[in-house]
Amino acid sequence: MSKLGLYVHIPFCRQKCLYCDFTSYVQAEHLFDAYTTALCQQIAEQGGMLCKPPVDTVYIGGGTPSILPLPFIEKILTSLTTKFSIQPAAEISMEANPGTVTKEQLTALKTLGINRLSFGVQSFDDKLLAAIGRIHRTADSLIAVEHAFAAGFTNISIDLMYGLPQQTYDGFASELKQAAALGTSHLSVYGLKLEEGTPLAAAFDNGQLTLPEEAAEEAMYDLMTDFLPKKGLLRYEISNFACQGKECRHNLKYWHYEPYLGFGCAAHSFFQGERISQVADVEDYIKKMLIGASTIAMRETLAQNVVMAEYVFLALRTTTGMDLEKFRQYFNIDFFSHFGVVFNKLRHQGLVSATPKQIWLTELGMKFGNIVFGSFLPD
Amino acid sequence: MDTGHIRNFSIIAHIDHGKSTLADRLLEYTGALSAREMEDQVLDQMELERERGITIKAQAVQLDYTAKDGEKYMLNLIDTPGHVDFTYEVSRSLAACEGALLVVDAAQGIEAQTLANVYLALEHDLEIIPVINKIDLPSAEPERVKTEIEDVIGLDTSDAVLASAKTGIGIEEILEAIVRKVPPPQGKADEPLSALIFDSHFDSYKGVIAYVRIMNGMIQPGMKIKMMATNKTVEVTEVGVFKPFLANVDQLGPGQVGFVAASVKNVRDIRVGDTITSADKPVTEPLPGYRKITPMVYCGLYPVESSDYENLRDALEKLQLNDASLVFEPETSIALGFGFRCGFLGLLHMDVIQERLEREYNLTLITTAPSVIYRVFKTDGEVIEIENPSKLPTTQEIDHVEEPYVKATIIVPNDFVGAVMELSQEKRGEFKDMKYLDTTRVTLTYHLPLSEIIYDYFDKLKSSTRGYASLDYELCGYQTSALVKLDILLNGDPVDALSVIVHRDRATYRGRLLTEKLKGIIPRQMFEIPIQAAIGSKVIARETVRAMRKDVLAKCYGGDITRKRKLLEKQKEGKKRMKQVGSVEVPQEAFMAILKMD
Repeated sequence: MSKLGLYVHIPFCRQKCLYCDFTSYVQAEHLFDAYTTALCQQIAEQGGMLCKPPVDTVYIGGGTPSILPLPFIEKILTSLTTKFSIQPAAEISMEANPGTVTKEQLTALKTLGINRLSFGVQSFDDKLLAAIGRIHRTADSLIAVEHAFAAGFTNISIDLMYGLPQQTYDGFASELKQAAALGTSHLSVYGLKLEEGTPLAAAFDNGQLTLPEEAAEEAMYDLMTDFLPKKGLLRYEISNFACQGKECRHNLKYWHYEPYLGFGCAAHSFFQGERISQVADVEDYIKKMLIGASTIAMRETLAQNVVMAEYVFLALRTTTGMDLEKFRQYFNIDFFSHFGVVFNKLRHQGLVSATPKQIWLTELGMKFGNIVFGSFLPD
Repeated sequence: MDTGHIRNFSIIAHIDHGKSTLADRLLEYTGALSAREMEDQVLDQMELERERGITIKAQAVQLDYTAKDGEKYMLNLIDTPGHVDFTYEVSRSLAACEGALLVVDAAQGIEAQTLANVYLALEHDLEIIPVINKIDLPSAEPERVKTEIEDVIGLDTSDAVLASAKTGIGIEEILEAIVRKVPPPQGKADEPLSALIFDSHFDSYKGVIAYVRIMNGMIQPGMKIKMMATNKTVEVTEVGVFKPFLANVDQLGPGQVGFVAASVKNVRDIRVGDTITSADKPVTEPLPGYRKITPMVYCGLYPVESSDYENLRDALEKLQLNDASLVFEPETSIALGFGFRCGFLGLLHMDVIQERLEREYNLTLITTAPSVIYRVFKTDGEVIEIENPSKLPTTQEIDHVEEPYVKATIIVPNDFVGAVMELSQEKRGEFKDMKYLDTTRVTLTYHLPLSEIIYDYFDKLKSSTRGYASLDYELCGYQTSALVKLDILLNGDPVDALSVIVHRDRATYRGRLLTEKLKGIIPRQMFEIPIQAAIGSKVIARETVRAMRKDVLAKCYGGDITRKRKLLEKQKEGKKRMKQVGSVEVPQEAFMAILKMD
């Protein structure tokens, strides 16, 4: 049986970024204690309930986990380690905002067992950072990474964004250089997507915001896929780059169809073929946890043809693609006898390639991933 | 019942003048339906009819009425379709009657269809009883409308009934007028049987049910009857009347209206307008007026999913059971695959069929732009009729082409005469006549190509007259026109289903309009898509759909795969209504773009 991943959601931020539509709350310090208690309760319930497989990845994400004071983090980690069998070599990641960390804090986190940090750097241009509502500036990012190295972290990731308002190709090129020069072993690069209901989307709709031309945005994408590998950061997923062996093992679980449990409001689990999400509202979550009510907002058992589609399109997000033998073992059917027609059409369009052992997205396929992914879904 | 106590009548009216509501009131008043059974507009049975507020099929109902003279009468109301597409059906219904209620809206007065239907009724020598409806409206002007009826149609309106079907005013007066003024039917029970079929429908248990008016003779179960047009002989299984639900009786006699069932499986064997006679003792001459219905408008119907082809055929066959005027035959398009070329009486008929296929049979269809039947005179002397633009021979093979023309009657307030003339001119119309109905309204007569009518003439007419104009038309023959085939090329490949036949002088304009429109409809794809309009090998317009640069979901928040999948599913749902044409994905509406252009 596959080893388990654990995700813990910390839905608090100092300030909401203008592009973010994810569950997080500002000025909610008064909820820290109650939320941590509720989290630990959920961890205890689920950890204690069944014989769970050993855990080899933990991911504390947000929101901004780094604004949660250390004692709370400690409490959560203790809860996890007592209720689950976390392996000594497990990857234990935490997201951090460069504007909220201190050297002491990072050192303490390391002591608590966190061994991987992911900084939401997003940009090395202060003007752009301000434009998307980030609380930190470039100097903060540089210092944060330096402190992380000093604290003994060897597994550090930073997030970058392209296609930001006012961003230029040349500007992004120099940002990429700065990112690579920092010497972190992992880099995630996301294109900005305007999500409905966010201030940035509203500004765009009102014509107060101009985004880079499509051609420029595409050029930024091309540059990132070309430049980063030359710096030793190999692309292993559509948006992720890492030095060999430093891929984020927790995120790989998503693509490899491996189980994970999510704790906290709006957290997602995938376990024994079921996808489950927790209620999104933080106070609702705390209250339900407290009175012993169910915190499940959505629970779906997928039909076999949906499972197959998910399995394929998630695997195809990685550069190694999908192992055909593993597919056959998982579903007890040959990939080509099930998806042959779909696959050949995609191959004809130049979106996918195959050997007898493996299928994967071509460069073009990476760009038009949605066309490929959607093709595998049942009609 | 002796014929002296039978009255057979129709209601004729322009659309929206209140015909169906009046029919409801008559049913209610005579107790043909209990209050519990009473549903608004019971005669419009199809869901679609009710939604659109129009009558598509004729229906009949028998009303039992005790008049003020103390006698009991059997009144047969035969409802008629109110749309120009179904003129032939109207004429058959009228042929089954001796009288007609002419319903005119007290606020709007005579409209084009009122006139068309009145002339049909007069042709059948019907006694016409004018009913001025909607007199409860604040804008009602019954006196003006009366004068209009007298001036325009020449009917005496001194005892026209003022009514409001909505509020029930005048219903009794109408019934009394029917008894008093509509002549009882003639006909003898001992003559050989002759019965006019004015409608039919298919019942899955009884087979085709013929709606008949007995002219002479008797008909009862067990009797052998013959359809004179099709020469088909069958044995009657049931006869009955409309109450309005089918109610069996022992026999039907002269003057009566009712139904005949004879285990006939194909609606084609029971043709509207045909005469039923006795197989043993037939009449020598059928009743006058029968003609085979020929479609006026054709379009291609294709399933979006090619696997739905058989389902589409089944659905069309089922609809045809009830609708002898629907014709279809298999057709293949390079762009759309296997489908059917279908013929309709007109645009409304086409719309209704298409909607029923999608709604009742759950099919997703691509409809190509409607076409008329062109007569092509080839240089080798051969004459062919084509109803699919892509079948037009090459210019070298064509001597000349003729297209169908209609005589269009347009009734419009004074102020809009200029606008109508301008529009009709633009649509290649030939002015024929102009008459004043009264001091404020005018009847214009034009000869117009039918293709312009089905293109956008009616919509334009409505918009340029703020909805005041009414239109009626009838086919009046073929005329030679300078027509060319306009082809559309996507990514360099001609798409047969997008070809149209247009007038040479309008080709460039239409080509430009069409390419622009398609540019707006065809979504961006992985590559650039040139859209060209061409006559022969000459490109006359071009647009380009730019290539999409990227399409990939980047981020995955905390393992929320469900959200990702839902997004992909939504995207895929959008693609479902697209057809792969060569390498290009084309949305359904592109094939109708040719029609709706502004």
